Amino acid sequence: MIVATDLSLVLDDTVILDHVSFTVARGESVALVGPNGSGKTSVLRCLLGLVPFTGRAVIHGHDVVREPVAARSLVAYVPQRAAFGDARAEEVLSFVARLRRIERTRIPAVLRAVGLEGHHDQPVRTFSGGMQQRLSLAVALLADTPVLFLDEPSASLDRDGQQMFFDVVAGLRRRGHTLLLASHRPEEVERLTDRVLHLDCGRIDLAAAPERVARVIPLRGERR
Amino acid sequence: MRLRETGLVAARELRDAMRSRWFLVAAACFLVLSLGLSMLGLAGAQRSGLAGFDRTTASLLNLALLFVPMVTLSLGGLGIAGDLEDGSLAMLLAQPITRLEAYAGKYLGLLAAVSASVLIGFGATGVIVAVSAGGGNAAAFAALVGLTLLLAATTLSLGTVLSVGLRSRARVIGAACAAWLLLVYASDLGTIGLTIARRLDPGQVFVLALLNPVQQARVLGTLALSPRLEVLGPVGVFGLDQFGMAGLSAVLVAVLAVTAVGAVATGYAMFRRMAVT
Repeated sequence: MIVATDLSLVLDDTVILDHVSFTVARGESVALVGPNGSGKTSVLRCLLGLVPFTGRAVIHGHDVVREPVAARSLVAYVPQRAAFGDARAEEVLSFVARLRRIERTRIPAVLRAVGLEGHHDQPVRTFSGGMQQRLSLAVALLADTPVLFLDEPSASLDRDGQQMFFDVVAGLRRRGHTLLLASHRPEEVERLTDRVLHLDCGRIDLAAAPERVARVIPLRGERR
Repeated sequence: MRLRETGLVAARELRDAMRSRWFLVAAACFLVLSLGLSMLGLAGAQRSGLAGFDRTTASLLNLALLFVPMVTLSLGGLGIAGDLEDGSLAMLLAQPITRLEAYAGKYLGLLAAVSASVLIGFGATGVIVAVSAGGGNAAAFAALVGLTLLLAATTLSLGTVLSVGLRSRARVIGAACAAWLLLVYASDLGTIGLTIARRLDPGQVFVLALLNPVQQARVLGTLALSPRLEVLGPVGVFGLDQFGMAGLSAVLVAVLAVTAVGAVATGYAMFRRMAVT
């Protein structure tokens, strides 16, 4: 279960999040939607402890500030902009496997699952945006954590990549993983989530089923 | 702090650094310049061939004082700021490690890469000089290598502070250039100017010199090579008079080490609260 209580974030004197509270039950898939700059990514960053926030965030009973290692060991993160330094694809996965004490024998399988089996020895810097996004998903699959944070995960993917992504995430949902997905894509939100939290100007202004939110608020719309 | 996780981050940083062009360029520059300086050392004596350890050490001291801060300030500066800009720092910190493990791992990995580059460049020169020319004070040459590594640790940590504080590659490169100029040239000029304008006594000049790690390394290197008064300069003479040979060396090593540790700790205090966006 994810419990966010009164999350507030101020960066460079700008209020990014303003007392955001929500819960995500175990096995639930929840979308964060809203216009650019509404605070979707910032919510995920708070939950990962990447930014200094006020309020409280707890993941499966572990406070992300007081027990950051325990909390993050339960979470895999697929960011909007994946980056892996100067490593090769297999080295990225090997590093994560060692850090999380996972068998490295699983690496070929996750590379296959995201369609990168032929690129394991290639420097990630030479990958296209879509391939980096696939690798980012492979990192999340390798970690096999009960909670996944996905930030615009299919933004750089081609049609085949998007289908692969939908299949992979649908599989994770069936296996009871808890998902928190920041997205602009109505199709993604409707197919992959049970509930939607709509953010605007750093506040949650609507929580509803995906179909209803899609009717009320055009998910593709830019507010500013 | 868990050593295993810190070591994994350090190993990754070292691998990335050794794969990059700067590592090869830095090691090659150390090697070529140090061998070249050794050859030139004998030009005045109208002989050709390699100088012994004494001449090589004296030449390398000046090379190290110029080159090492330039490489380490920019490298340390780009470390965290570069990863922050390209997004790989967020990926790293999203893993189950603490900020201290990530920070220490990145610093130690970069330090290992710089050390490898110094040891390859100077080590190869030492072997070649020993085989070709021999003679002289090999202990002073070894002390110079140790001193260079200590200076590298200190200026790398200063670069890391710039990296965490400025958060962008462009700003960090500008600041690293300014810091290099300050440490290598401007601080000497400033000390001279202040000494004349304020009529500082030798003790005050000594304290001023202790604020600059490059100046500390210069006096320390000169002490190892030749503790003669005319070579040491006023700062060294005052230090030698106050502390003696062993005492002055110990003070300078301690100040360099404290500067390195202090800068690393300051960088971490900033990094711990840093917003990774």
